[in-house]
Amino acid sequence: MRNLWLIVKREYLERVRTRSFLILTLLLPAIMTVVMILPAKLATMGEKAQHLVVVTSTPQFGEMVRQRFLAASAATDLDDEATPETSSPKQPPEPEYTIDVDANPTEAERAVLRDKVTSQQIDGFLWLSDDAIASGKVTWTSRRTPFFSDRSRLSETLNRIIQFERLSKNGITSDQADALLKPIKIEAVRMERGREAKGSGGGKFLEVVVMVMLLYMAVLFYGISVMRSVLEEKNSRILEVLLSSASSTQLMTGKLLGVGAVGLTQILVWVVMAVAFALPAMAMQPSFAELQIPLGVLVAFAVFFLLGYLLYSTMYAAVGAITTTEQEGQQLQFLIIVPLVLSVFMLAPVVRNPDSPAMVWMSMVPFFAPVVMYARIVVQTPPLWQIALSLLLLIATIAGLLVMCARIYRIGILIYGKRPNLPEILKWLKYAKA
Amino acid sequence: MAPTPPIAPIPVSAARNHAGTVELNAVRKCYDDFVAVDNISFSIQPGKIYGLLGPNGAGKTSTLRMIIGIIVPDSGQITVFGEPLTRQHKDRFGYLPEERGLYKKMKVLEHVLFLAQLKGLSAAEALKRAHTWFERFELSAWTGKKVEELSKGMQQKVQFISAILHEPELIVMDEPFSGLDPASTVLLKDVLLELAKSGKTILFSTHGMDQAEKLCHSICLINHGRAVLEGDLNQIKASYGNCNVQIKYDGDARFLHESRLVESFNDYGNYVEVRLAPGADTQELLKLASAGARLSKFEVMEPSLEEIFIDAVGKPAVSQPAVSKPAVRKPEMSQPNA
Repeated sequence: MRNLWLIVKREYLERVRTRSFLILTLLLPAIMTVVMILPAKLATMGEKAQHLVVVTSTPQFGEMVRQRFLAASAATDLDDEATPETSSPKQPPEPEYTIDVDANPTEAERAVLRDKVTSQQIDGFLWLSDDAIASGKVTWTSRRTPFFSDRSRLSETLNRIIQFERLSKNGITSDQADALLKPIKIEAVRMERGREAKGSGGGKFLEVVVMVMLLYMAVLFYGISVMRSVLEEKNSRILEVLLSSASSTQLMTGKLLGVGAVGLTQILVWVVMAVAFALPAMAMQPSFAELQIPLGVLVAFAVFFLLGYLLYSTMYAAVGAITTTEQEGQQLQFLIIVPLVLSVFMLAPVVRNPDSPAMVWMSMVPFFAPVVMYARIVVQTPPLWQIALSLLLLIATIAGLLVMCARIYRIGILIYGKRPNLPEILKWLKYAKA
Repeated sequence: MAPTPPIAPIPVSAARNHAGTVELNAVRKCYDDFVAVDNISFSIQPGKIYGLLGPNGAGKTSTLRMIIGIIVPDSGQITVFGEPLTRQHKDRFGYLPEERGLYKKMKVLEHVLFLAQLKGLSAAEALKRAHTWFERFELSAWTGKKVEELSKGMQQKVQFISAILHEPELIVMDEPFSGLDPASTVLLKDVLLELAKSGKTILFSTHGMDQAEKLCHSICLINHGRAVLEGDLNQIKASYGNCNVQIKYDGDARFLHESRLVESFNDYGNYVEVRLAPGADTQELLKLASAGARLSKFEVMEPSLEEIFIDAVGKPAVSQPAVSKPAVRKPEMSQPNA
């Protein structure tokens, strides 16, 4: 026990004290921030409000179109399924458009407007004369073809305006028209342990994806670190010295726990940083209230993340134990990445149908369990026995792998120069009992 | 006791009384088809310095690794301190591997403390002892440096300190002198002698015969995994006999052709090296030689360990002065166009 503690301590301190740990810990959040914020900033940076002209037969109609248009552009995300009721209290965004009304639908005016578009005095104009409306064909003239989203928004808004207009021409008041044209919204309600839980599939999916991303990152960074340090010990003969003092299981367990703790430290720092920066901003958003995560899910997250991390690092250690160089190790890495990637592919089916037999069994497979079982818990709490069985299998696999790994480590280490083939590894496993 | 066929005519079992710090009994280790250690038996007495000698690839390292329990023999028994080897004995060993076995990025002092604590020493006690040893090996200025910043020789010293800091009863070293400069070699030799005097048992391997010859009480010569010679060094030498004589003479050289006494000779012009025939008496040769020639030197040479080894292994070597000139040796089949 004392040896194990000494080994864990050494592995942990030697890594946490390096400059690269500090740099990675601080730099990654900075990079992530830049990556997330920069594209949005870049997209909006050069963009000034568009100057449009609406050409109508009467100024009143033109003014109404203008109002409707501005209102519609303010509520861009109206139909976002994830946040059904949140669009109205949103802060008004910066105006995307300035819209002028032109009540002079003549060919001469059209020519003048075309020139203005060409000379960039305006960005575009909409020909909404009564004739055009009657014919059901309206032209939008601008220098560039509108993006798909612009265009569908435009046509949707226009359709509503014109429907409205047609209805009012038929003697229906504007209130009645509103009532008639009121769109229907769908609210998703899940039954969770007999209670109704609001909250959407999107939010659930996010909870799972965050875990998968963290697991993925931790496995990639620290799995390789485990592999590398196993290789380092093999290539210098430090292992001989260590084996003359401690058992290979102590060494292997100590290494995994030590390196594991380093990864957790880093993730903890990141989470604290993220919460510190993001919490104030998120708290302003009413949608945040819906993202509240039940305690059970948090516990599941911690348990499955830790076990998943341990499982995959152990696999990396095994790769380190059977290879002799880092290049070789990296070639074998795909054996580890494949199950991780496969479990990511299973996310969509799990979230859609968490109780299907296929997913139930997949969540029992230790290599997929950290992601799949966790996802099932998030979406719809599975029967307790299934969770217990999945955990049991996962823990047993980790323990088994660890023992196996320690044996390979111990024997493989003493045979230099060539990578063992499978029969040789099996033989080692058999006779490295000491 | 299992028979070990190629053992030379020496009293093999003189010290075999099962009181040894380390006892090997018919130990065998194979890697796949390759027999690394074949049926080796020996015994190391407490407080003695024992040398495991042999050419590269003879099986020395495998033997040492089995003794400290890194690898397990396929057959045969190993006992240490009178008990079968178990993990509980690990803290009573100190081990120095052949190549440097240190974490390159770790600081020297921290590394030594880490290894000492693994051996059960408290951090405070380890620190106290470490400073004494760092001073002795002139490493005090380097304790805060990373291991990789040290020269190979200095790393070797750090490794050595790590191996002995917990004051083990048995010190096992694989090629401890490799990579050391002459001054450090002397220092290490002195330390080893001190440790032996204080009752520690020391086992080391080397392929250099001089170190072993100067330091060891007993040796085991192994070649191709087999023990070729084993036992007390003085006894080995005695049993090998004083079979070489160096003679400086002037006059009749007929005595050289007395085949009853002289097996072969090597004439350097100025003096001649004579290899005596088995059972020949040096005094008889002296009488015969002085009868016909004027002698200015007649010296009976003690065989060097190297000569003994080469003789035992049956492989003539280039660096062997007394018996290697094929011109005067008996014809040797295994030597084409020499």
